[in-house]
Amino acid sequence: MLLYVNSKHWGVFIMLKFVDNIRSKPAGGIILLFVSIQIVAIIGGLLYPDSFRYLNPANIAVLLKSMSALGIMAIGVGILMITGEFDLSVGTLYTFCAIVTATVVKEYAMSPYFAMLVGVFVGMLAGVMHASIVNRFTIPSFIVTLGAMLLWKGATLLYHGAKSLRYKYESATYKTVLTGDIGVVDASFLWFLGVGAIFYFVLHHHKIGNHFYAVGGNPEAAVAIGINPKRVKLIAFMIAGGCAALSGVVAMSRVGSVQPGGGLGLELEAIAACVIGGCALMGGRGSIIGIMLGTALIYTIQDLLLLLRAPGFYFDMFVGGLIVIAAVTNVVIRKRI
Amino acid sequence: MENVNYYECKNVTKSYGNLTALDDVNFSIGKNEVVGLLGDNGAGKSTLIKMMSGVVTPDTGKIFVDGKETRISTRKESEEVAGIETIYQNSALCDDMTITRNIFMGREITTNLGFMDHKKMEETSVDVLESGVHISGIDSPLKEIGALSGGQKQAVAIARAVYFKRKILLLDEPTSALSVRETERVLQYVTELKKEDVSSVIVTHNLYHAFQVCDRFVVMSHGKVIFEKNKSDTNLEEVTEQVIKV
Ligand SMILES: Nc1ncnc2c1ncn2[C@@H]1O[C@H](COP(=O)(O)OP(=O)(O)OP(=O)(O)O)[C@@H](O)[C@H]1O
Ligand SMILES: [Mg+2]
Repeated sequence: MLLYVNSKHWGVFIMLKFVDNIRSKPAGGIILLFVSIQIVAIIGGLLYPDSFRYLNPANIAVLLKSMSALGIMAIGVGILMITGEFDLSVGTLYTFCAIVTATVVKEYAMSPYFAMLVGVFVGMLAGVMHASIVNRFTIPSFIVTLGAMLLWKGATLLYHGAKSLRYKYESATYKTVLTGDIGVVDASFLWFLGVGAIFYFVLHHHKIGNHFYAVGGNPEAAVAIGINPKRVKLIAFMIAGGCAALSGVVAMSRVGSVQPGGGLGLELEAIAACVIGGCALMGGRGSIIGIMLGTALIYTIQDLLLLLRAPGFYFDMFVGGLIVIAAVTNVVIRKRI
Repeated sequence: MENVNYYECKNVTKSYGNLTALDDVNFSIGKNEVVGLLGDNGAGKSTLIKMMSGVVTPDTGKIFVDGKETRISTRKESEEVAGIETIYQNSALCDDMTITRNIFMGREITTNLGFMDHKKMEETSVDVLESGVHISGIDSPLKEIGALSGGQKQAVAIARAVYFKRKILLLDEPTSALSVRETERVLQYVTELKKEDVSSVIVTHNLYHAFQVCDRFVVMSHGKVIFEKNKSDTNLEEVTEQVIKV
């Protein structure tokens, strides 16, 4: 009897196995969504190579290049979200730290690498400041960083003014490291992958990662078992600030300039990327792969719409829809509705 | 020198606003002893348990470990200084994390750089879940806590405490979600712990269970200790009367 199982049953069986496998992965929903959209886009690109240039190397290069700044920022924001906190100031902090970096190079004639470290350090310091206020007064981080968002915006104007700043550097190696490319792969994309790899190990394999999930998932349990949530949140805020600063420097180096008003709005896009990638708004859930794919998905959608010559406002509508779809997919996959 | 208690707290008071959860409480745990901590809902039992494990900081009072006055103000300190391990009434587990990650939460097995040894933690989880108080239906250490039944969750919390126990095990209604058979096993286990020189405090509303395993009974009411007797000096009727009197 058992030997006679027709191929249709096997197909169903393998499908179920596959779906089960996806379900058990924290980033299952986003992987499924991402792969489906890629398959559709790739088939489209193969069928209509002339009118739908998705697989055109120039298109792929632009796509990879554009996502890195938001991606690096979203990784920090996502880790913070996993601990149950928000940082709305990352957008303006991104600009502020980039300008600090540029100034260190221009005014003090320092090496661009050193300047980059200074920028990231300032970002982490800002994170310490946000965390200290949140921890000390137990105010929601949403409020604290809403204030900080305006603070860093103002600080940028105070420190630099409203005109755009050109960022030029003499070092050829620095140019290669930050703006070079290997085929269609831009250097900034490699930075994104690198940051992703580092925080993959931190979040999923280091004990501090386990503490991020514990503090975000059940703060009382974390305390009851001997984890200090304030310390854990401090580290997460520092990561968010540092990542925001790094993404600012990477973006500025790639473009060659920085706009004082440029970063505002990125904080919400970063949160969107994290939510699409499966991070829970209340903390305790999320993964690096999910955050990275969430970012990639936003830019893929944008790219697809551009290729289809859709008017710009479609982008916002699609990303909006995507956030809801992703949230629903995650719930459905988890709860097996 | 007379027999000193291993752990003792004196004149402990804890208030939440104008509610006094612990009112001048004296409580001790001897060596190789099982203490039954009894009392009505809201009597202050869990607050006392949390105070002893360092999660709740008392307003006033002193703590003595092995006769020496000691300051315990965090969970880590109660663990390191007094060797206290606790099963909390609400289990203290994260639903979104796996069984293994919950068992080792805050006490991960790591390499020198702090990276987790997943394999070792998983193997150990399987071991602790199978030995001691074994509860069926937990088939993989990688299952998320949120997918477990109430009893299975409690079993994980018990397994965690059993694995990390040192000198004192505090059990706050550890069997409230367990079947009759599993409850028997937990009670059995608590008695056996005495042989390993581990004392325990068990909070329960089931006086039969308390009589089965405890050497001494402490009854609380409205934040105060109102009754304290060795098992040999009292009986079920007397203790019952103390617990239900208002
Ligand atoms: N964090 C808190 N904030 C305010 N009040 C609290 C807090 N924790 C406990 N209480 C109050 O302290 C009193 C004692 O609570 P506790 O949890 O110690 O009771 P209990 O004896 O464990 O009761 P039960 O048998 O129902 O578990 C209760 O009146 C409770 O409302
Ligand atoms: Mg209680």
